[in-house]
Amino acid sequence: MNQGHSSPSAPRAPQPGKGDSRRDFIWLTLGWLASLFALGASGFATLRSLVPNVLYEPSRRFKAGRPGDYPDDTATFIEEVRLFIVRKGSTYRAMSAICPHLGCTVNATVGKHPFLCPCHGSHFSPDGAVMSGPSPRGLTWHALSLSKDGRLVVDLDRAVTHDKTLVIQA
Amino acid sequence: MKSPKQVWLWFAGTRVGRSIFRVGLPESNLGRMQAMVSSFLLHLHPAKVHRHSLQFSSTLGLGLISLYLFLLLCITGVALMFFYVPSPEHAYDNMKDLEFVVSAGMIARNMHRWSAHLMVLCVFLHMCRVFYTGGYKPPREFNWVVGVGLFVMTLVLSFTGYLLPWDQLAFWAITVGTNIAGYAPVIGKKIQFLLLGGNIVGESALLRFYVLHVVVLPAAVVFMVALHLWRVRKDGGLSRPGEPDVLVPQSETGRLSTNKTYGLMELARGTSPAVGLDPADELPAWPHLVFREVLLFLATMAVVMFLSVFWNAPLEEFANPAHPPNPAKAPWYFLGLQELVAYSAFWGGVVVPALLLVALVALPYLDRERAGVGVWFARERRVAVTLFTLCVVAAVILTVIGTYFRGPNWGWVWPWAASVVVPH
Repeated sequence: MNQGHSSPSAPRAPQPGKGDSRRDFIWLTLGWLASLFALGASGFATLRSLVPNVLYEPSRRFKAGRPGDYPDDTATFIEEVRLFIVRKGSTYRAMSAICPHLGCTVNATVGKHPFLCPCHGSHFSPDGAVMSGPSPRGLTWHALSLSKDGRLVVDLDRAVTHDKTLVIQA
Repeated sequence: MKSPKQVWLWFAGTRVGRSIFRVGLPESNLGRMQAMVSSFLLHLHPAKVHRHSLQFSSTLGLGLISLYLFLLLCITGVALMFFYVPSPEHAYDNMKDLEFVVSAGMIARNMHRWSAHLMVLCVFLHMCRVFYTGGYKPPREFNWVVGVGLFVMTLVLSFTGYLLPWDQLAFWAITVGTNIAGYAPVIGKKIQFLLLGGNIVGESALLRFYVLHVVVLPAAVVFMVALHLWRVRKDGGLSRPGEPDVLVPQSETGRLSTNKTYGLMELARGTSPAVGLDPADELPAWPHLVFREVLLFLATMAVVMFLSVFWNAPLEEFANPAHPPNPAKAPWYFLGLQELVAYSAFWGGVVVPALLLVALVALPYLDRERAGVGVWFARERRVAVTLFTLCVVAAVILTVIGTYFRGPNWGWVWPWAASVVVPH
């Protein structure tokens, strides 16, 4: 440090009666607030930039073939969207294959509880209800409708209750 | 023919040599200490080390080994970066290229993987060593906290690392890991979205984990290791039995007067325990400590090399979102956690790890017993040792169950029973 050039090296004593302490307080407060705001705003902007505004992901609403493509009394697995189309006679339902526990894809097997999660061992009934294992809830049922050109339409953003079914009279 | 030492002495004596090294090859104890203080690479060391700290049985060298493994990971990691593109289209093929196309590519990947596994193990064992020898007691409480942070960073680095090959393990690890984050209260879902950069595990998720793995986390670890080592010095070196209590400054200026001139760093802080004490039982760090360090590095390198030559890093099938492997298992060091989340994602994946972490951080501030520092399993610390051991045993049991006793659909299997093959 080059001490020789700083002439009054001792800190200036507060001078009462000149309003210095109030002025100091205001400037100090403003300075701190401005610094904190600058830091906070940059931090927030950095974090916000990492939250995507546009997602280049497959559409959450899509067509899933004609009703006739699905054999009766089966749960047909559509790989790309990890979804079962369950048909019982003329009723259709769309059941997610994503385990609500931690997101693994359940496997369809035969038996009393045919849907099994290979990651942590949850078992689901044919209706998707949890029979055993750590899953906090059953498999999700998604809204299913019929488009004008006669194709099934699945909406992954709309969950429905188990009793909602799409009935198609052939 | 001149010996290497003669060549060295000649070079160190030239004008250029003196400009680089300042002091030549030390011939006296004074020179040895000057060498430690004046060398950039050596100045992290104290000029003199206590005999107890040099004994292998005091530390088992675990902290140093962890540091060496981290260095190996940085070097091999940079080497691997030349051959890796963080995108789902290329990542898996890059792994195949490393194995079949790039010269010595497989050995680099193997070394990186084995170093990572060993580092998880050594950092954990190092933590156990510090606990069992009471090394976290005052004045070293905060350095224990830094160490806990480094342990967590090691795990997160491993986690972000094994995602990069974009094989089945990678894909399902990101899926499960980010879903666990989603169980955190209030902001869980937001964190999950931020980590993935979307709703599905894809391109942006891979890129994010890559950046975390190669830049953000290593930079943080470098900083924390520097802090960790600096604190070891400032807190008076390694803990040892019969260590003097922390001295408080006696004079009015807050500085201890002393006329000792060796070991400049020992005087840098007034509360340094070594100030004013006889240098009994201390040896010059050069050569006693430096020699042991070099030896330990060679041993670490030899073990990593041996493992890398004989056991290849595995690569599972290409990531397939439709079909997890059955059973889908994490690497061994996360199987205890996987066993826990198989009971409950919230309790096993969020609450229990968070409580354990809080307990580890709070430990040096809760444990008021001052006796038994520098002694393995000190009698005075029976309760603390028992509690800690119970936690370690529980973690080991959970890991063993996850590794050997869990089969298809995470069902219970006996490891000696014939293995069941389940079609995907």
